[in-house]
Amino acid sequence: MGGVRLSGLAMASALGRGTEAQLAGTLAGVAAFAPVTRFDVAGHRVRVAATLPDAGSLTDELATAIDEACGSAGLSGAHRAACPLVLAVHAFPNAPRVSADRWRTATELAELLAIRVGLGPVARVYTSACVSASTALADAAALISSGRADRIVVAGGYLVEPDQFALFDAGRALATDGAVRPFSTGRTGLLLGDAVAAVVLESATGGRRRTGSPLARLTGWGRAGDAFHAVQPHPQGQGLAKAIGAALRRARIGPGALGYINAHGTGTPFSDAAEAAGLRQALGPAAAHVPLSSTKATHGHTLEASGLIELGITVLAMRAGKLPVNAGFLAADEACPLNVVHAGPRSVNSEWALSVNAAFGGACTALVVRVT
Amino acid sequence: MIRTTIALTVLAEARWPEPGDDAVPQVPGFVLSSFNPVIAAVADRCLRRRYGEPPAPRDDGSGTALVLVSASGDIASANHVARTVDDGGRVGPLFFFQSVPNSIAGYLAARWRLGGPVVCLCPTGDPRADGLAEAELLIADGDAAAALVVLVEQSGVDGVRATAAAVLVSGGS
Repeated sequence: MGGVRLSGLAMASALGRGTEAQLAGTLAGVAAFAPVTRFDVAGHRVRVAATLPDAGSLTDELATAIDEACGSAGLSGAHRAACPLVLAVHAFPNAPRVSADRWRTATELAELLAIRVGLGPVARVYTSACVSASTALADAAALISSGRADRIVVAGGYLVEPDQFALFDAGRALATDGAVRPFSTGRTGLLLGDAVAAVVLESATGGRRRTGSPLARLTGWGRAGDAFHAVQPHPQGQGLAKAIGAALRRARIGPGALGYINAHGTGTPFSDAAEAAGLRQALGPAAAHVPLSSTKATHGHTLEASGLIELGITVLAMRAGKLPVNAGFLAADEACPLNVVHAGPRSVNSEWALSVNAAFGGACTALVVRVT
Repeated sequence: MIRTTIALTVLAEARWPEPGDDAVPQVPGFVLSSFNPVIAAVADRCLRRRYGEPPAPRDDGSGTALVLVSASGDIASANHVARTVDDGGRVGPLFFFQSVPNSIAGYLAARWRLGGPVVCLCPTGDPRADGLAEAELLIADGDAAAALVVLVEQSGVDGVRATAAAVLVSGGS
């Protein structure tokens, strides 16, 4: 069976710690947003986010997630030592305040993590905003499927902190009514959320020698650009459609085979409409039928970690045979003619699911997983 | 550690500064820091050496990726935002748009009609080798036919401009 094996998975978000908490939270469709107490938000227009109450430092949380993912994949110390790490983060945590003598880089964080959890060298560090983790996953899958690597740990994280919060608030990107309502009428923007996640990706033969069935197979991936604007998405979702097309071709499936789409769905008026247009362009009539939800409505926008936490939730949902709820949904928006899962979790019969992400710069990614 | 499989052909190269360069041209919508203007200047120079004026020919541009490689990132903007937050001030909205390197990549992609993947990396070793390895992966994997790799670093010292290099590569001979 084709594709790259996803054989280890660990996640934490405001929905809780561990995979079961992510699945339970997204199936229930209960949003985890609350007033921010981690730092002072008194001067801001919006004062809520989805934060994990007992979150440690980003470094500690990433180390825990990587360690758990390796453990769930059954990697020995020798396996770990030979396994490269790929990391997706914004920057070294709190770099402006800890770099008085020498600027600390994101790669230094990756090197600290690799040493701490006993992994091999750092292969790549992605700072591509909201497609950092999904690009890391696509590239890792490409490296493994082409025989250039046998196993790669991909990790990513973002914990809500004052600088990005202030920037998103200043950019008027945050929802003003305390809720994220992807693809719904009345949506006013995104809300930020904590997430750390890690996966172990392996070649088809490498993983089989050690473990039984993988959690899922990453069978398709695609990355493309809008070539449209510095920060706005192409209104017809040009790059997203291209990325989805590439992912489906690699997975060797048509749009009708998909049983679920985990959308980027930030809850931003213009971006959700552009995403819907891109889905229609790539999937044709199937875009109106394949069940879809954005789990950002429950765990928030986790920025550089988005691709990992959302792929992980997609895998868990497909394994459970139930699809996450698009929380916050008020009513259908004619600009987003999609089959949004909003009344409650739905069952799923297909083996294939699609997870898409987009970012500033018109960067778009698509990942296809198969769960058997 | 991770092997490459295809040879890349260098189509054009550029640096900023080159002899005779003075002030870096400003880019509309990007403020305070030299990080983004220097990326735009070196990318424009490299692409002009290949294509003349923007945009790139459709057949070339639609499959061209943008790979930005920087260990420092935009230190000047990050420090400005942190100082403003610590002082209880309000961050200017333009800093939201330039808070990630994707934005200047998107500006360039729109200007030159480059429709390939947009990838930003912090180098794990030699930045040029890292950038070319990413370009090679995207081309070998089929999501790009060519890539503009931009290497940029900022010292963090007030008044010292960022420096950059760019190389346009393709997978064909």
